[in-house]
Amino acid sequence: MTAIINPAPEADITAPMPSRRRLRHQSEGGWVTYAILIVVAIVSIFPLYYVIVMASHTNAEMAQSPPPFVPNGTLWGQIKDAVGKAPLNKGLVNSFIVASCITLGTVFFCTLAGFAFGKLKFRGNNILLAICIGTMMVPPQLGVVPLFMLMSKWGMINHLQAVILPSLVTAFGVFFMRQYVMSAVPDELIEAAYIDGASTTRVFLSIVLPAVRPAMAVLGMLTFLQAWNDFFWPMMALSSQNPTIQVSFQSLRSGLFDQQSVVMAGTLYGTIPVLVVFIILGRQIVGGIMQGAVKG
Amino acid sequence: MRLSSTGRRAASAVAVVAASALFLAGCGSSSDNDNNSDTSAAGPCGTTDDITLTVGLFGTFGFKEAGLWDAYHKLCPNVTIKEDDTEASGDYWTALQTKLAAESGLDDVQGIEIGFVADVVQNHADQFVNWNEVPNAAADKAEFYDWKWQLASTEDGSDTVGLGTDIGPEAICYRPDLLKQAGLPSDRDTVASKMSTWEDFIDFGKQYMASPTKPKGSYFIDSASSVFSTAVYQGDEAYDNADGQPDVENSDGVKSAWQYATDASAAGISAGLAQWGDAWNKAFASGTFATIACPSWMIGYIQGQAGDSGKGKWDVAPVLPGGATNWGGSWLGVPTSAEHKDAAIALVEWLSAKDQQVEMFANPAAGGHFPSNQEAAADPKVANATNPYFNNAPTGKIFGDIAAQMKVPPIGTYDTPIQTAFGDALTNVETKGTSPDDAWQQALDKIKQVTG
Amino acid sequence: MSVTTTAPAGASSSRRRRRRPGSRIAYLYILPFFVVFAAFSVYPWIQTAWLSLHKVELSTFKRKPMEWVGFQNYVDLFHDHFFWNAFWNTISLALISTIPQLLMALGIAHLLNYKLRGRTFFRISMLLPYATSLAAATIIFTELFDPHVGFIDWVLRSVHLHAIDWQNSKWPAQIAISSIVTWRWTGYNALIYLAGLQAVDQQLYEAAAIDGAGRWKQFRYITLPSLRPTIIFTIVISTIGALQLFGEPKLYQPLAQPSGGSDNQYQTLSLLMYQQGFSYGHLGQASAIAWTMFVFIVLAVAVNLFLSRNRDAKGVR
Repeated sequence: MTAIINPAPEADITAPMPSRRRLRHQSEGGWVTYAILIVVAIVSIFPLYYVIVMASHTNAEMAQSPPPFVPNGTLWGQIKDAVGKAPLNKGLVNSFIVASCITLGTVFFCTLAGFAFGKLKFRGNNILLAICIGTMMVPPQLGVVPLFMLMSKWGMINHLQAVILPSLVTAFGVFFMRQYVMSAVPDELIEAAYIDGASTTRVFLSIVLPAVRPAMAVLGMLTFLQAWNDFFWPMMALSSQNPTIQVSFQSLRSGLFDQQSVVMAGTLYGTIPVLVVFIILGRQIVGGIMQGAVKG
Repeated sequence: MRLSSTGRRAASAVAVVAASALFLAGCGSSSDNDNNSDTSAAGPCGTTDDITLTVGLFGTFGFKEAGLWDAYHKLCPNVTIKEDDTEASGDYWTALQTKLAAESGLDDVQGIEIGFVADVVQNHADQFVNWNEVPNAAADKAEFYDWKWQLASTEDGSDTVGLGTDIGPEAICYRPDLLKQAGLPSDRDTVASKMSTWEDFIDFGKQYMASPTKPKGSYFIDSASSVFSTAVYQGDEAYDNADGQPDVENSDGVKSAWQYATDASAAGISAGLAQWGDAWNKAFASGTFATIACPSWMIGYIQGQAGDSGKGKWDVAPVLPGGATNWGGSWLGVPTSAEHKDAAIALVEWLSAKDQQVEMFANPAAGGHFPSNQEAAADPKVANATNPYFNNAPTGKIFGDIAAQMKVPPIGTYDTPIQTAFGDALTNVETKGTSPDDAWQQALDKIKQVTG
Repeated sequence: MSVTTTAPAGASSSRRRRRRPGSRIAYLYILPFFVVFAAFSVYPWIQTAWLSLHKVELSTFKRKPMEWVGFQNYVDLFHDHFFWNAFWNTISLALISTIPQLLMALGIAHLLNYKLRGRTFFRISMLLPYATSLAAATIIFTELFDPHVGFIDWVLRSVHLHAIDWQNSKWPAQIAISSIVTWRWTGYNALIYLAGLQAVDQQLYEAAAIDGAGRWKQFRYITLPSLRPTIIFTIVISTIGALQLFGEPKLYQPLAQPSGGSDNQYQTLSLLMYQQGFSYGHLGQASAIAWTMFVFIVLAVAVNLFLSRNRDAKGVR
């Protein structure tokens, strides 16, 4: 299986190439490109927009035919209601802590492991990689029961560790970084560094890390979102004394007078911070992706 | 700066390990505070120490909204109550079972729903405080309807796992304006007289459907499941025989309920909506159905879905076709492993006391939880309560009368999935045109999978 | 694959290769993963496997002794028509939701790679579906597809077409769920492809352009092969994810039941496992389903990799 996962060896290009690497000279997108991307963007954004609409109308208003499509001023009131009903702020803080720790840990450790699996020769590389990828193939839901028992034996229930530690290094991240390292870091560069006497760690820090920055950024974003939206295990492991944001949503339904708008307002409150972070970091991330194209 | 190769390797190793340790340390700390364990069980509050009691609930108990936590804090300033909510009772039960299996992570008070109380009694009675053995046992027991106490007790009555919160006596909630538009009688007593049996109910429904002036696109009842889940409890047996073992094929309740439900569907009086789904929620506001079997706790739900524009358009008929019965209801139990057992016991006893249970019904913010405490049910504030949203219907009297006449068949551990299996079968009849006989077989097939 | 331009021409073809120093440090680098795995995953796995050989209920787990039944759970499973129903549903949902999604993701990534105005906006918008909470998104889609009050059927009715029952009919329900899955994961995969595309050396494109290759040829002969590790990655990950499909079909049903519709018309293997384990409490059977799924997924991934290897070997260089 790993032979298939390994890409075919590169063709040797023996003709001399110009030595100065230039910035990318990319093609411009045409109007068709823009049209398609705008449609995709609208489809992607619409449901989140509709969450805002739903957050500002009562159940009865939403039941009209056709339903409303524009939010109104009651939105802020609903958000305030939501924050009053459920420990959303605590949930936000906890989720930030949890998601940040998981993201930092995952990106760092998975890059290490991805580099090792991708570029280092060692006994058992293939088998261990197969095991690593294999761990993703077991459906996770049933595992909560034995995991809970484990965590309670170690006294971590109701503490954030219970949610952070199991996700600190993921097989997904290891596999992802490995594939990227294999395609983005040329063997020759590493060979040259070894010949110059660099240690493996030095190779990692000076050659690999800069080259895989785009992938680290993408992995970081995906991991952060995954950790942020995780519900089932945090629901079992954390009470609403120490909730992550998804767990804190549980308190939003006041049941009998159940207003969808409050639930949606709370959901919005729990999603907007993530988006703000992305928008702020977005430039950095895009910049990172761009820079990665200039190697060395 | 050249280290030897071993030195370099060691430095790398240290760096990696140090980084890992930093992550684990930094990411590992949390911000919860330890509770003091209480040392003395003193006074009516169960303790004199400053403590926080955790109460694990699901869905719709309404204690917080009714202001009961604040009221208790005034009574017992040393006790702070924190609610631990899970939205869906299914998720709650999964988590509770896991915690019971691990014997850790339980709250001081845990809610128990009628859907899984039988399981708690059968399999976890020793993990909950036995209310027959608390200091106030006799007084506690006398408060409740017999059947409510018995549902939470072992067969010989020696072990009781929870004190009751609410019960769900059912009546028929309906839209008098829609009935009037169809040229049918719409005042609650006349309507009640027209539907004292399911046969009458279906006939009345046929009249509604046949009326040339009825609102377009409107049906008489929301779903055949509404009929089924009400009628199934009106026999001597529901899903289980007297030993608490599932036995649907020989159950009089199941057989007659199935008959009535499929008759209702065949008569075309049902809107065929999936209960609790999106379309069903919207139908409260849009008038897609004129009647629905409503337990007292649904009063608040209807108000929430139909909104302000529905005020005055709804009413409650003092009847339940086929006889008085119950839907839903919960208990509060105290795990034996609770950190503050005596304080928790004190809280639960306070919540089931007459005044608090009256508050849970009479206070509009609480949502209409009918008391399981008999004294509370007889209290004038409950007995004389009316509901302006429902055309000033005397909800207290209506539900009180029904509560007094209710008979409750035995329950079992698989009731919830069995009910779902029948609900699915009826959905197939209503939306896929499956014949009732085929659907019955489908239900039995699923039930075999459920009971293992 | 990218090509270095700074190494002197002779070094890489030298016969005298130094043995790479410190490749034993590789074990240290992969250690964190295996530590976490050993601490938190191995025990639950082994526990689940052990449970699958017993008749055990969640409610009495750890409190009553379990009954050993050997492989009976697995045998029962293969005779269970609910299992096969879920099995085929899983395959059909996987195909409908994954293939269009990956193709679209590739195309979108290709477009996003151009020099564009508002790149950041487009790239962030791609992740919004994944950032939107699944519960909220499914509520909105369920409303869209609702046979009574939904927008899509309203449109169908207004052009005098028959309204489709997106909840209760099998294929419409599966298509509706696949659309949720596609909506949610296309941007995710597009970003993964984009990161991979950024690693492709522009000079290959320039050289090809000089040689007269058009855009499509460039895509086929430069982009695709360079993206190969990434494509393989997404195929493996998407196969695993599709066969484990759980959240979308569960939330599609009113009250988020795991039954996959009144007739189990969209119940996947994951939902069946969850239903057996948590709704009915049959931990033994549920564990057997989990391990059966594992074997099935391993086979499916192997087949997919085999197929993609063949295709590549035929095609390109």
